[in-house]
Amino acid sequence: MTQLNIPIENTTLPNGLRVVISPDRTAPVATVGVYYNIGFRIEPRGRSGFAHLFEHMMFQGSANAGKMVHIKLINSSGGVLNGSTHYDVTNYYESVPSNALERVLWLEADRMRALKVDDENLRNQRDVVKEEVRVNVLNQPYGGFPWLDLPPIAYRNWSNAHNFYGDFDDLDAANLDDVQKFFKTYYAPSNAVLLILGDVDADEGIRLAERHFSSIPSGPQPNPADIDEPPQLEERRGIVEEKFGTLPGVAIGYQSPRRLTPEWHAAAMLDQALHGGRAGRVYRKLVLEQQIAVDAEGGIHYPVGDLFDYNGPTLMVTRIMHKPEYSVDDTIAAYDQIIDEMKEKGITAEELEPIKVKFRSNYFSMLEGGHGAYIPRYGLMHLLACFSLFDNEPSLVNTILGGFMEVTPEAVQEVARKLLTRQSRSIAIRQPAKKGAA
Amino acid sequence: MATAPRSDTPTSIPALTPERPVIWPPRVHKTLSNGLEIVLVESHTIPKFTGELFFRSGNAVTAATAPGIADMTATVARTGTTRRTSREIEEDLRRMGSDLSSGAGADNSVISFAGLVDFSNDLLRLVSELAQQASFPTDEFERERRQLIEGLRIERTTPGFLASERMRRVLFGSHPYGTISPTEEQVTNYRVEQLKEFYQRNYRPGNALLVMVGDFAPEAMLAQIEKIFGSWVNGPVDTAPDPALPQLAARKVYLVHLPGSVQTQIVVGNHAITRKHPDWLKLTLANSIYGGAFNSRLVMNIREEKGYTYSPRSGAHPLRQHGFFSIGAAVRNEVVAATLTEIFYEIDRMRTEPVGEEELDDARSYLTGVFSLGLATQDGLAGQLATATLERLPGDYLETYRERVLKLTSTDVLDASRKYFDSAHAQIVIVGDRTQIESQAAQFGVPEVYDAQGKRI
Repeated sequence: MTQLNIPIENTTLPNGLRVVISPDRTAPVATVGVYYNIGFRIEPRGRSGFAHLFEHMMFQGSANAGKMVHIKLINSSGGVLNGSTHYDVTNYYESVPSNALERVLWLEADRMRALKVDDENLRNQRDVVKEEVRVNVLNQPYGGFPWLDLPPIAYRNWSNAHNFYGDFDDLDAANLDDVQKFFKTYYAPSNAVLLILGDVDADEGIRLAERHFSSIPSGPQPNPADIDEPPQLEERRGIVEEKFGTLPGVAIGYQSPRRLTPEWHAAAMLDQALHGGRAGRVYRKLVLEQQIAVDAEGGIHYPVGDLFDYNGPTLMVTRIMHKPEYSVDDTIAAYDQIIDEMKEKGITAEELEPIKVKFRSNYFSMLEGGHGAYIPRYGLMHLLACFSLFDNEPSLVNTILGGFMEVTPEAVQEVARKLLTRQSRSIAIRQPAKKGAA
Repeated sequence: MATAPRSDTPTSIPALTPERPVIWPPRVHKTLSNGLEIVLVESHTIPKFTGELFFRSGNAVTAATAPGIADMTATVARTGTTRRTSREIEEDLRRMGSDLSSGAGADNSVISFAGLVDFSNDLLRLVSELAQQASFPTDEFERERRQLIEGLRIERTTPGFLASERMRRVLFGSHPYGTISPTEEQVTNYRVEQLKEFYQRNYRPGNALLVMVGDFAPEAMLAQIEKIFGSWVNGPVDTAPDPALPQLAARKVYLVHLPGSVQTQIVVGNHAITRKHPDWLKLTLANSIYGGAFNSRLVMNIREEKGYTYSPRSGAHPLRQHGFFSIGAAVRNEVVAATLTEIFYEIDRMRTEPVGEEELDDARSYLTGVFSLGLATQDGLAGQLATATLERLPGDYLETYRERVLKLTSTDVLDASRKYFDSAHAQIVIVGDRTQIESQAAQFGVPEVYDAQGKRI
């Protein structure tokens, strides 16, 4: 079963806002998302971390709902809410009992229409974001490894290479003008998609979307950003000091194919053959058999994204935590054997078929959840949003599996030979500052 | 191409429409003749099913002699059976489109699994094998031992872990709940025989609960389960010791010194109650007003007003024999004392002032709403069923949850706050760089200082 029948209604409002409804009346809950076609990749130079700081500002007040009103209204309606900043999109989402659906739409429309924030809000959220960076990166063993380590090593275009969480100097430099300008540039309805999933009738969903969003004035489309990378001609390596942890880490990233190409389908199967859990070749050989590593995992656009949510240069990454008695070079040599074997001998149909079964199974789980138990259908929302914004075709969610199921063993080997070359890879090494306690 | 504003665009908050009731799918709840308890619910959201096979024995059983043995037993149990090698298990799981994990907490051991319904029979056979015929291969045991030791070394550099570890030791002392993780030395002394013994004495059908939710017909699934698990032989099982808890005489500060920290992890804790206690829902509601939700008082105060921290949260944590209440926040080093002041200010406000009607109403709606959200996925529903059944809560616990929450009053919240937000006996743990935070900590009492290895310094 690779052709799904998830109900999807979609339309575009006159102001350019795309609307996607996916009804399922089983449970009396609804999930709403608004995705903007702007991620941290193309935030302004000198303002690293700004896209994410801005995401926080979207909870600080809008024309008719002041600071704390968004949070209070959703929670007191029995719902939960959050937002997140990715490479190429920023999302805002709520799950609520469906009797609060219109209230959620009203709130999202209000902040799409006009942000109403002041210096005090900005100062407050700048402080909050700094603590977020500390708790997730600066004060955490292996914080940011490898998602913040690899880009500056792998890329030459600032958009792809900079610190996405933000240098503190840049966060400090951000001002209210930046906030309003960013809002005006990237948060126009034509640069967004609204998604309503769950307990709503399709026509009613469209009607509600029109009612709340159609009066938002349209704005100009932002100019397409330059995110191109010059061709990579040699292996790139970098070392980052690990301040807390005791184990050395190595992360290896290869340039990934563009989305929706035949190579992309084949690379997804290659990725699963290498990184598909404990049966994947990398974990099996490095952790279970040779026991050089204590952990090894990876994926395309790993670890802060997946196969479906990038729209520009990204890497297929393997993250290895290895025992201190093995050197970095020993570890990479053992890894290279796995890669070379894949390129030389390829994969049998016997190995590929179970990988497809598992891929299909993972896809179903992603549709239902994908973000903890409390945001039903987060994964479906995320896919619909990316297929809408990047490909203008939300219905791909029903058909996309087909391309993966048709991948042949030959295609996997071919894509391995093409992608997994020494000169197109980058390696980030996390080197512990102190030796582990004996 | 600006469009004219439409006249019906509302500028005020739309009212809630009438609520649609939660529809409870029929539930099969049965105990086989060998004692295996089974809960099955159909959910057709995706063509998959999810399941958990619990044993009501966890790390608490051996805490006095070998902490963490239950977790190690569960970990190694998935690495080999009398019929399959480790590699065969992993490849079979992939062939069935399945995920499986195993582990143990203080009170329970569990094998969790999920897969495509087409392969449910094969997956259940594998789960049954892991539960009855695990072979504990020595080489797999040694590999896991080394991985565990490396993991423990990293945990000892993680502020959140160090804070939880100290808090649990302070609240529960030598009670099994006082130890959340073994030491490196204890793991070095593990013997594979201890795992086999724990497995023999606790992986028994009379000690087990199988919860499954998914795209199946419950009656047919029950027949399948009976065929696979019906011949499993019951036997005697271990019971966890329950020694007396330490008396918390007064407020006290503990500092775990983690040199070079650029942030301080704060945890404040008290003894509290289990989910079976009549006050449980009152405490849950009080917690959600205090610091359990995004729009709670503590989050609004120390995050949205003061910007001290990113993710402050409080929670009531029920274990089988006891419970505890804790408040956590990772803050910048300069505001450790200021944060503690606000934490106690908000606690004292909960203890002295009755909650107003609007705030009470909001919090009740929040609890009933997120409860409904938690039922809308296979995983969420399985989790709720597991909690209710594992702790042997009343049979209608889930069905009546919402109406019981909606009946709670402002007096209930005040009572629960006074009983369980015990600021006079609150224990304070802070993890950070001693040189930057000790004088701030001292404002709340002379700190007892530990290093990251748990030694008093």
